[in-house]
Amino acid sequence: MAYVRKDASTLTSAEKRRFVKAMLEIKRRGEYDEFVRMHIDFYVTDGEGGLRTAHMAPSFLPWHRRFLLDLERALRRVDASVTVPYWDWTKDRKAGAGPWTKDLLGGTGRRSDRQVTTGPFAYATGNWTIKEGVTDGEFLTRDLGRARDPIELPTKAELESALADPVYDVSPWDSTSAKGFRNRLEGWGSGRGSAAWRNHNRVHRWVGGVMVGGASVNDPVFWMHHAFVDLQWSRWQRRHPGARYLPAKPMEPGSAQYRRIVARHEKLPPWDVTPDSLEDVSRIYRYA
Amino acid sequence: MVVSVGGGGVGVGVAVGADPSLGGPAGPGPVRGALRGGRRDVLRGLFAAAGALALAPLVAASRPPHGADDPGEVAFDETYRGRHIRGIKTTAGRASGADQWHVTVDGRQLELMRRADGTWLSMVDHYRSYETPLEAARAAVDELGPGQQLREIPMGHAGTMSGMDDMGGMGEMDDMGGHHGVRP
Repeated sequence: MAYVRKDASTLTSAEKRRFVKAMLEIKRRGEYDEFVRMHIDFYVTDGEGGLRTAHMAPSFLPWHRRFLLDLERALRRVDASVTVPYWDWTKDRKAGAGPWTKDLLGGTGRRSDRQVTTGPFAYATGNWTIKEGVTDGEFLTRDLGRARDPIELPTKAELESALADPVYDVSPWDSTSAKGFRNRLEGWGSGRGSAAWRNHNRVHRWVGGVMVGGASVNDPVFWMHHAFVDLQWSRWQRRHPGARYLPAKPMEPGSAQYRRIVARHEKLPPWDVTPDSLEDVSRIYRYA
Repeated sequence: MVVSVGGGGVGVGVAVGADPSLGGPAGPGPVRGALRGGRRDVLRGLFAAAGALALAPLVAASRPPHGADDPGEVAFDETYRGRHIRGIKTTAGRASGADQWHVTVDGRQLELMRRADGTWLSMVDHYRSYETPLEAARAAVDELGPGQQLREIPMGHAGTMSGMDDMGGMGEMDDMGGHHGVRP
């Protein structure tokens, strides 16, 4: 029986409490920091050598889908009623509302040092000390909306431009792919200004603080953001019946992306799964 | 002009971009400005950075493959928003000729990564990229909270990173357990 991932704005008080409690428990056990470490370790860029699985690659979506499933399993070992809620950033666009409340994620960081001081993940609670970080800061930081140089969250129209693309991904299968659902959603643009960060990438920048860096997983909103990104994959599949993950076949030896990206039936490190096996998760969960 | 920095038997040559044959600093770009403005400081920075890299063979490329990287741009050393940022181009004798930069903020190493379009991003600012290592370093400073410093990178990690592009041969990658999508 598939479980349900809900819109964070529809959670009851009890649901929020149980989600938060499970998060704090896996943090206490040290499991959470393993997820942070893993995301840092798998961030390989396309200007470097080697296989890319998590970013700047077709497997951006299945990699994060499986990553979320692993986190969700850890949460559900603590409390079987918990699922990862999603944050619809096309709808909940204000810094003082949506998931940014004291009973869920807490609010933005204070002006002096961007430290989050409200909600269950505030440093002063003693429950959310950052251990795997890019900086030596031990507290969660945010700068919602980027106060000193404001930016807006992606709009419905911007998200729509990704969903409308009928092709999953295109050559060169990296951050420079000018078309394809995957990169339009992941959000690597070219040039300067706001065109340079779209959809998924832009949300990381809007939240600010640790969400901008390699250790973005330290902010629990990471999961709610990626649940919403994951939901877009399901919506895209419904919109374009028969459209599949690409590339379907491994790159040929000699091609620029040979052994640098994961094709539909290739193994997706670090797991023993393929993108093909992650395209349909309707037996595991669905979105409300 | 080549400054040779002898380092305990490790030959370290640093080409500073003032050679007229390479075009030299030109135009009002911030990097060139930094070089023009404080050449002595730059040289001091080069010595210090080279010292920090004593174990890495350091040979600056005579003419990098990307047009965006003017040959003059081989180093920067400036104070930005109260932070001391330094960078030095290091091309470790690699066949690919791809540039590597060793960048520090207040003496702590800032990991830079490259995008396929030749732009740069750092560990601090991971969801967009910048035209030059200096821009990426400044953007990282923008994101660092007051009083926060970069975390020290464990020994070996950064060194391995700078050799990533050497993994062109897949046999070599397999030997190193490299074909697994994880940064070594």
